[in-house]
Amino acid sequence: MTKTFKVKVNGGPELAVDATEGTLLEALEKHQLEMHYHCRSGFCGACRTKLNSGQVRYTTEPLAYVRKGDILPCCCVPESDLDIEH
Amino acid sequence: MSYSTFNQEQTNPLTEPMFLGNSVNVARYDQQKHSIFEKLIEKQISFFWRPEEIDVSRDRVDFNKLTDSEKHVFISNLKYQTLLDSIQGRSPNIALLPIVSIPELETWIETWSFFETIHSRSYTHILRNLFTDPSEVFEDIVINEQIKIRANDISQYYDDLIFYTQLWQTHGEGEVTVDGETYNVTQREIKKKLFLCINSVNALEAIRFYVSFACTFAFAERELMEGNAKIIKLIARDENVHLTSTQHILNLWQYGEDDPEMKEIAEELRDEAYEIFMTAVKQEKQWAHYLFKDGSMIGLNESMLCQYVEYIANLRMQAIGFDAPFENMRSNPLPWMNKYLVSDNVQVAPQEAEITSYLVGQIDSEVNASDLGDFDL
Repeated sequence: MTKTFKVKVNGGPELAVDATEGTLLEALEKHQLEMHYHCRSGFCGACRTKLNSGQVRYTTEPLAYVRKGDILPCCCVPESDLDIEH
Repeated sequence: MSYSTFNQEQTNPLTEPMFLGNSVNVARYDQQKHSIFEKLIEKQISFFWRPEEIDVSRDRVDFNKLTDSEKHVFISNLKYQTLLDSIQGRSPNIALLPIVSIPELETWIETWSFFETIHSRSYTHILRNLFTDPSEVFEDIVINEQIKIRANDISQYYDDLIFYTQLWQTHGEGEVTVDGETYNVTQREIKKKLFLCINSVNALEAIRFYVSFACTFAFAERELMEGNAKIIKLIARDENVHLTSTQHILNLWQYGEDDPEMKEIAEELRDEAYEIFMTAVKQEKQWAHYLFKDGSMIGLNESMLCQYVEYIANLRMQAIGFDAPFENMRSNPLPWMNKYLVSDNVQVAPQEAEITSYLVGQIDSEVNASDLGDFDL
């Protein structure tokens, strides 16, 4: 079953992201966005992204410090429509 | 306040600050103030590796094919990495263990430093293979002016903290005169030195190391010195964990989630911390200039490396609450770097030396119906 949400990145157009297919990072890469990342497993924090609105769920517990208002797309999936700054 | 290896006072580690509270007595992890540090220990140990597992023998042939300017880049870079890990293999232990106050962080510091010693041994492994006698390379690390500038800037914050901690532990608070010089020793002063030191360590592990990784992986992109790149890939994965730990310490202080006095100090010394990062950026750019003084190499030159310094500095400084200082360097100038920094992209048989994520004794005991969905009877 698909679970599709609308994700707005850096004020750009709304992109469709299926929360059942991989992480938010992978989904945005499929939309050809240039993403910042290193470890892709939640411990280095290089993919740190500002969450302006919406909710995400972590599929792996992040080990990097997640500052208030930030998310780590490499280990989370959307739970609602999102507005983010990457 | 002399140090005791087993503090006889009954303390509650759950209410101790990370540093400069009571010294740790029982190494217990059943209750934790900042459980993140034990999670980092587990992560780091799951990454255990030995330099000898990686075959670097083909690198010697590649090395002899390099031009003189490329050899200069390769060897200088390795010298710099050797310097960084020489410092990191001992300094967190010497500077931080005497003042740490919670067991999970104490053990993290020891684990962290131990892994840096693996890195140090791997540089010898690489150099032994390239040269019959690598002494000249090692000896130059303490003579080379370009390396010395960095060594001084990195070690001074550690040395300053260590010295004041020693004065405090032998004389207590107050004015202390040593060799005709008077020092005003207060706990707050030591906390300030600690704050600057952790910022400097973070700049070292989060920025300086990555500049050196870029040079290593630039060779690997041309399918040269690949044994070396395999080793540095493992080192980079460890450094990813280490930089996270110092970011945690800095953020915990900043958000007032640990010692309230450290929150004040973080605000008071914010500009100085910013300068530590900007100085590191400046020095890394000078280093890039020195590396490529005799010519660039395919895939990497001075200006690309300087752009990468700015790019990585943006990411790291934002992670601890600064604005990105280099607004026009938002996209990665060396996109190929990332494939070497991904922690899990070498999925081969676990017994092969290349595997980077072989977890011993890791069993997932949670099974639910959906896991069996693909089975047909």
